[in-house]
Amino acid sequence: MQTVTLKKPVYQTQFLVLSGLSLLLVLITAISLSQGAFAIPLETVFQILLHQLGIGEGDYSSQHFNVLWQLRLPRILLAMIVGGALGISGAALQGLFKNPLVEPGIIGVSSGAALMAVIYIVFGSAFTGLTALFGAFTLPLLAFVGGLLCVVLVYQLASGKGQTDISLLILAGVAINALAVALIGLVIFYADDAAIRNYTFWSLGDVGGANWNKVGIASILILIPAAIVVSQFRGLNALSLGEAEAFHMGIDVQKVKFSILTFSALMVGAGVSMTGVIGFVGLIVPHLIRLVFGANHRLVLPASFLLGALLLAVGDLLARTIVSPAEMPIGILTAIIGCPFFIWLIHNIKNSN
Amino acid sequence: MLKARHIHFCIRKRPIVDHADLHLEAGEILAVLGPNGAGKSTLLKILSGEMPCKQGEVEYNGRSLSKYSPNSLAKVRSVMPQHSQLTFPFKAGEVVVLGMAKQVATPPQELLEEVMKETQCWEFRDRQYAQLSGGEKQRVQLARVLLQIWEIKPYPRYLLLDEPTSSMDIAQQHHVLAIVSRLKRRNIGVLAILHDLNLAAAYADRVALFKDGNILYQGEMDEVMTSSKLGHAFGHPVKVTRETDSDQLVITAKALINKKQHEFKTA
Repeated sequence: MQTVTLKKPVYQTQFLVLSGLSLLLVLITAISLSQGAFAIPLETVFQILLHQLGIGEGDYSSQHFNVLWQLRLPRILLAMIVGGALGISGAALQGLFKNPLVEPGIIGVSSGAALMAVIYIVFGSAFTGLTALFGAFTLPLLAFVGGLLCVVLVYQLASGKGQTDISLLILAGVAINALAVALIGLVIFYADDAAIRNYTFWSLGDVGGANWNKVGIASILILIPAAIVVSQFRGLNALSLGEAEAFHMGIDVQKVKFSILTFSALMVGAGVSMTGVIGFVGLIVPHLIRLVFGANHRLVLPASFLLGALLLAVGDLLARTIVSPAEMPIGILTAIIGCPFFIWLIHNIKNSN
Repeated sequence: MLKARHIHFCIRKRPIVDHADLHLEAGEILAVLGPNGAGKSTLLKILSGEMPCKQGEVEYNGRSLSKYSPNSLAKVRSVMPQHSQLTFPFKAGEVVVLGMAKQVATPPQELLEEVMKETQCWEFRDRQYAQLSGGEKQRVQLARVLLQIWEIKPYPRYLLLDEPTSSMDIAQQHHVLAIVSRLKRRNIGVLAILHDLNLAAAYADRVALFKDGNILYQGEMDEVMTSSKLGHAFGHPVKVTRETDSDQLVITAKALINKKQHEFKTA
């Protein structure tokens, strides 16, 4: 009997936290669907959704339907999937590097992905063979390659003998970021007018360009890796004591490292290729989860996905409404919220030492 | 049996462990003693499989170390390194549970309670690991490595400890060695790097004396713990006596100066 009583609270907390976050996600989706430059009453929102599921009668105008089904729903879903990707990859990379300051943007994964994305957008005609092979997946896959190259490079620069030197890691990230930005500038310098227009659309980022096609690709390239990363929670828990200790406990350390680096880069690459670089979500989200619910990756990983999704969904709602009918790029919003948080984090670390 | 034959490890051609032979039977405690920098920790890392040795071979229960996967190795040996640092806010109890992370999602409550009570860390299981004292952290780490091999198994297992009592007071030191001694009944062999010669004399069955990457002497307590052998290994005059009532060896190091001669005197 006793074994049952101990297990219960652990699973209960996890269940409660995850279902609470999921409920909030549904709530924000409903609100977000009805709000915007063209307001749709909440009951119409539910009518359309239910009708699409084959329930009830469709008593709504085609204008309402088009705005909701073709514009808003895909962009909300894309915001959530990308936000989740940033949240969970932030949590996984922090766990792997054993440092709460790590974020896909800071260690160069995002800018590496962005560089490859820009190269493809500008010199797309040079990649016809690849495009023919991978279709709409070409851009996210190239971004993944860019992100993976950068994260492996940074990791190699900062690690040795099973330990990662955090100052080296940040320095390597700064160097990679600077190089990527310079190379992006160089690519733009050689681009023609049409390519620059394409680039500008993409770099303004945000999730405005969402459509069902993108949502589908993002689901495949993000949800599957996210599930694999969640399954690595034991390895990440063990790694928080150190690589040697994890090995002593029976963890295949190289396998865990490989899968975390690869799948984080895949998620970030896919996200960046669709929405541009959105900073700080991967930094704030896992930190908040750990602060409130503890460090067990069994909860931290899935909860970071959900909170990341929630944060970006709220960010998108704000981006669409505060300067309505215009839209603010979502990256600006996350940076405005994220930078002060980052400063607060540094301040906290300084005081705790 | 844990067996190491001719293991050799060098960094930039300087041997850290120089063709050492060592064996550990299940159900005994082997104390590894020697001055700082003698290569004891490196030896432990080679035995645990953490570092590959360039020459020689390590065998667990007659099977070469290289033939074990990390997971199957974790079932026959558990390791407690000198320092383990945690970045994230884990509770003490969660750190202990990590010891079984690979085997089950949540270890049975009785098992966890038994191990944590045995190592006297049950009462602070819900406190943050980072806020514990050095000795408390070591007890939590000990509980973690014990949990990994606590359940009785039909095959012999081994526990490798690298100075498990370095941050503990004298009562805790003896308590820990007493726990470790009780593991012998569970068919577990213990190899412990120890700093305190008297602690080793009180609990170990056999001793390996290390110096400059070589095992100078290895054998029964009475054979190895002699004034001349210890003096040779540590390069310091040491006196070994035997307590008449308990038959226990007592090791005293000779003071280099006479305190009285150096007292400050007013003229």
